Formats: sequence, structure tokens, C-alpha cells
Amino acid sequence: MKYFFRAIVVALVVFTIASCGGKSKTAPAVKQDVTVRLLTDATGIDDKSFNAAGWRGILAYYGDTWENQSKKGTNYDWVTAQTQDMYIPNLKQASDEKYDLIIVTGFTWADALGEVAPLYPDQKYLIVDVDWLDAPNVMQATFSEHEGSYLVGVAAALKAKAEGVAAPKFGFIGGVPGPVITKFEMGWVQGILSVLPDAQVVDYYANDWGKPDLAKAQAKNWYDSGVYAIFSAAGGTGNGTIAQAKEYRLRGKGVWAVGVDSDQYEDGLYTDTQSAVLTSMIKRVESSTEYALQAAKDGAFKGEVITFDTASDGVGFSDRNPALGPDIVSQVNKVRQEIIDGTVVVVAGYAEALAKGLVPANLQASDK
Amino acid sequence: MARIDRAARGPDSAVRSRSLDAFHFLDIFAASDARMSVLVVLLGFLAGTLIILAVGRNPGGMFAALLQAMTGWDLTRGVWNIRYVGEWLAISTPLILTGLSMGFAARAGLFNIGAEGQYIVGLTIAQFAALYLPQIPVVQVVLAVALAAAGAAVWGGIVGWLKARFNASEVVATIMLNYIAFFLSRWVTMAIPGANTYKTPNLPQSAQLDAGFLQRLTNGSNLNYGFFIAIASVIAFWWIMEHTRTGFALRATGMNRDAALASGIKAERSAVTSMAIAGAFAGLAGAIVALGSFGYGRVLSGFDNYGFNGIAVALVGNSTGFGVGIAGLLFGLLASAQPLMQSRGIPKEITLIISGLVVVFVSLRAGFRMLLAWRRRAALAVMATKAESETVQGEIDA
Repeated sequence: MKYFFRAIVVALVVFTIASCGGKSKTAPAVKQDVTVRLLTDATGIDDKSFNAAGWRGILAYYGDTWENQSKKGTNYDWVTAQTQDMYIPNLKQASDEKYDLIIVTGFTWADALGEVAPLYPDQKYLIVDVDWLDAPNVMQATFSEHEGSYLVGVAAALKAKAEGVAAPKFGFIGGVPGPVITKFEMGWVQGILSVLPDAQVVDYYANDWGKPDLAKAQAKNWYDSGVYAIFSAAGGTGNGTIAQAKEYRLRGKGVWAVGVDSDQYEDGLYTDTQSAVLTSMIKRVESSTEYALQAAKDGAFKGEVITFDTASDGVGFSDRNPALGPDIVSQVNKVRQEIIDGTVVVVAGYAEALAKGLVPANLQASDK
Repeated sequence: MARIDRAARGPDSAVRSRSLDAFHFLDIFAASDARMSVLVVLLGFLAGTLIILAVGRNPGGMFAALLQAMTGWDLTRGVWNIRYVGEWLAISTPLILTGLSMGFAARAGLFNIGAEGQYIVGLTIAQFAALYLPQIPVVQVVLAVALAAAGAAVWGGIVGWLKARFNASEVVATIMLNYIAFFLSRWVTMAIPGANTYKTPNLPQSAQLDAGFLQRLTNGSNLNYGFFIAIASVIAFWWIMEHTRTGFALRATGMNRDAALASGIKAERSAVTSMAIAGAFAGLAGAIVALGSFGYGRVLSGFDNYGFNGIAVALVGNSTGFGVGIAGLLFGLLASAQPLMQSRGIPKEITLIISGLVVVFVSLRAGFRMLLAWRRRAALAVMATKAESETVQGEIDA
């Protein structure tokens, strides 16, 4: 047995030396630009959501595209954590490897980063969707999701009004309840009620980010009971809403789904030119990664909380669906400008919105 | 019959016997299960190397990553950091324990797909014990680990009892119980005051498995007292299996249930005992991950998959204590080398492919051995023919 293990170790060393000997000659010693590593959870950059958006921002910064990642490996790369207990080791590894910037997305990384960041005081980190860490070398990016959700709420309500739907109802499907998803729901409801003060609003939480069947069943129920448009902020679960809306629109029912995070127009196509996704609330996670990279390059990087809102184009709505029409688009853009000017203020928390009488009392949103 | 056919072919067989010599070294591997495991692991890495070449990457990156995970020596950057060794041993710990869980049941003839569920039960109980038991240093953590093992033993034992009492399939029962454990864990953990949908309040220091001296020794890795629990469990596995009456009864049941029954061994009791002990091992894994790797209790959002990976570990380790220990270190090596490989441009899927292939090759072990046996017989036949013809020749010469 001993012989075999020795043989394995010898083979490893020989292979490694043989392969690295050639490599070190070709590797560029001079760094032309900042280097960055994106750390993801087990899903990797192909999640069509959060990680993908962060990755897009990195690609955009280096002038690459998804198809042509020419500087991958020299300037930027990504590493997945197969299990949650790899978060800390992966953070430490990336810090050891001395990237100019290390990016993590999502609050699940907050504890791990809070533990590692003080150990590497000279290392710059960016975390997205977290604002409660306290470290001078961590930039924290949050988004005003309630503002973007307000805009899509306005758009959906205006569309119902334009179509002359009698007593339209609106639905919201959330993933796991929590303060971030509450921002989506509050914005959506306030946006609808700003146009149709008497509209009825229903909500449902799937308690899961990856169960489209739950959203599909709920959407079918609601559409059958007269719900006009459903906004899903539920990750993969929300795809069930879009699937159901497609089915019903194919059969000639006048119902809509509203997309989230990225423009889901194409996911909603049920013919070549018609999409069941009326509009999407867009959260440009890529803005935050690009911003942090630029800051790291310019030496302007600070451990601060940066909010990407409507004004900085961190959130918005998609006007890609022709069904929306130029009239509604211009009206929503007007509201967008009012939010930027501060004449319209969207409330993010449920308790506060309730206290101000902006939303009904029977919602399942959670502030904690 | 076959022998005669081959012997009849004459000149052709001499060529064959020469080519057979080239395969003789493979007989070394066929000599024992342990050697066969080494061979399949080597085959797995060989296949992994070929795949990396096929996708146009440098397989040297894979070997450099494996070397760094094993020794902490980073050839790419020319630095040495022993923390990587610590991380390797730390990530191997739960794999060894769930491997022991699977292996223990397998020796008694049971297929324990439920290590994942037992792991979750252990993890959940450990988190509760950390939050609610009195915070006495040493005592609390020992109690938490012991309770986790006991709870998971009960969880596994249920399956053994169902098997013994109603002859319920342990495969189906354990798979179902995995989901029950998962959702139960989510439900009760979210009910803890101060818990949200993701985590509980922080666990007290007195409930954590952190070992200061191990962290100093490994430059701040995640290595903790759990590793010693794993080593002790490997020894316990071996001792129970090979040196106790219970172990003998379990093995006898596993080899031939009817024969065991006929010779007075209570096979029903064996099912309960083996599943309970298997559960305890998986529960220890859960406790170690909960109290060793996280400063807070987790509301699980999915399976950690340590239990399922334990199946592969037990297969490669031939369900023996020390075999599983080494196989756990191997799978831990792959897991800890994965981010290091990705850092060198090797796709993250490669480690999964290698571990998958190793399992496939292990399953092919029996077939491989048959092939070697057939070749050996063929070689013997050829030699016999040769010897015969030489004798005949000699007689003619004389």
C-alpha cells in the first residue's frame, strides 16, 4: 500500500512541476488592470439571476461579453462554493491570491465576509444586498428595489386602466419572506394603488426560491379568480407565474406576469413577437460590480454603503414589451422622474407603509 | 472446452502470451479490494486528466491544485501556506463520518440512503443544544455532540425497526425520512426566537468545536476537534466490526441472513443496531459541521449532500473503518481542491466528474476482476500448451 501512495505523490509532483515549468514562462508578469474574483454559492454564474448579473458587470468593465471572456483567468475569474462551509475557506483563498477586489453577492455571504474581512485589512471586498457589516475594507451595495417595483406597479395598473378592466385585482408572489422581498411587495402595491386606489391586492409566499410549480398553481388560481397581473419576486419560483401567464394568454385570456431582477421579456414570449411578461422590475446588480471595480482602479474605494436607486439607474423598469405602448411608457417615465426629484417617496418597510396607510393590512410581508 | 479451442490455435497463442505479460501488473491490483480501490482512483484521475485535455485546458492545474490542497504548497505563486492542509482535513471530517454511516449499515447488508437525514437530525439537535443548554465550557459542547449522535441514532434506528418489524425496505424508508428530517429541521429551527428564514442567533463559544491549537498549527484553518472525533469513530468502527460479538452478528447477517438466523443470530436486532450506529456516525457529522464550521445555527435551504457523498466514500473505502477513513480524505481532497482548480482555470465540474467516475469504476470492480481472472486463465492455458508442445518437441528431438 505504501508503495502506491508514494507513487501517487511522486506522480503528482512530477506532473505539477512539468506543467508549471512551462506555464511560468508564458504567464504575464505585468498587471495591466485591476484583478477581481467573484465568489458564488453552489449554483455558479449560470443562475440567470444574481450571480449572472454580477458576472455581467465584471465582463462589461473589462469590455468582454458572455460569449467572449478573453480576459478571464488573467484579470477576472470566479469560484463556486459547493457547500456553505466552503464560504470562509474560499474567501481566505481569494485573499491569499491577492486579487485587487473580491466580490460576493447575497446576504448568505454576510457572516463569512464579516469574519474574514478583518483578517485581511488591505484586501478590498464588495458585498451586494447587505448593509450591516462594519469593516473599513468592505464596500456594501444595496438597491432601492421598492422604487423599481413601484414603477412596474404603476405600469401594470395603467395597462389595466387602458384596457378598461372592471375592478382589476393584482397579485404578488414572494420567495422566502424577509425585509428585502418586502421592499418588492411594498413598492408594487403602492405603485398600483397610486393609479387605482380601490384595486384589490393579494399576496402569497412560496417559502422557496426554486419551486416554480408552487407559483404556477397559485397563479392559475388567481388568474381564474380575476387577477389581472402578478409580480413575482421569488427567484426560480417566479418562472411558474410566467409559464401560467403564457398558457393563458395563448388561450386568449387577458392576464399578465411581471418579471424581476433582469428583463424577463424573452422568457415570456408565447409567439414570436408577443410576450406574457408585460414589464420587468430591473435591478442592475451589474452597476454595483462595475462601480466597485472602477473605484478600486481609481483608488476611490472606501468601506461604505452605497445605495443604487432610480437616480443612479440601479433600479428601473423594462419598456421592451410593445403591448405597454408609448403612452404608458411615457407616463411611467414621468413617475420615474418624480421619484428622482423626490416628489414621489416610496416606503420600503411594511410597518411604516401600514402606519402611513399606503398599503392594506392583510399582507404577509415580513420586516424581519 | 474453451481451453482446447485456444490451445488448438497454435502459433497465434505465442503472440498472445507476450501481450498478456503487459497486463500482469494489473494482477497486483486484483489481489485485494484495497488495491482495487487504488486502481479505480488512479483511473478516475486519469480520466479527469483526459477530459481536461479534451476541453483544451492544462491538466497541470489540476495536479497543482491537488498538491496545494494536500501540502499547502502553491507552485503557481511559489508560496507555502499550511492552512490548506487544515481545510482539507476539516472538509474530510464529515465525509469520513457519513462514509462510516453508510459503510456500517452496508456491512450488515443494509443500504443506508438516509445518512443525509441522520446528518440533518444531528445538525439540528446540535444547534438546539448550543442555544439552549447551560453554557458551561467543555461540558456543553460534549453534551451537544453526544445528544446529536443519540438523536440521529434514534432516527436511523427507526428505519432498522421498520425493517425488522414490518420488513419495510430500508431504501425507501431512509429516502422518505431524509425529506422529513429536512423539513422538520427547517420548521423547528425557524421557530427559535430571533431566527429568520436563513439563520438563528449566534451560537455561544462554549458550544463550539473550535480548537485554538489546531488553528494556530494550521494558520487559522477551519480544522477543529471534530477531526479527532472522526479518527476515534474510524477506530470505533473497526473495533465494533472486527472485535465484538455485535460486529460479528452484523457481518454474519450481512453475508447471509438466513444462515445467520439458522445459527441463532437475531437478525432483527442486527437491523436495528446497525441502523442506529450508522445514524450515530452521520449525526456526529452533522454536529461537527454545525458546531465546527458555523458561528450560528442554519435554517437549511437545501441538502448539504454530505450524507449522499458518504455513499461514494463507503463504496471506495470498501465499507471498512480504515478504508473509509482514507476514502473520506480522498473525497475531501477533491472537495478542497475544487476552488483551487477553478482558480487555475479548471472547470468546477471536473472534481464532480472524477468522483463520479471513481464510483462508476468501483461498481465495475467485480467486472474488472472477472476480466483479469479470465486473462489469467487464458495465460495459463497458453503456458500449458507451450509446455506441452515443448515436451512433444523434446520427445521428437530425442
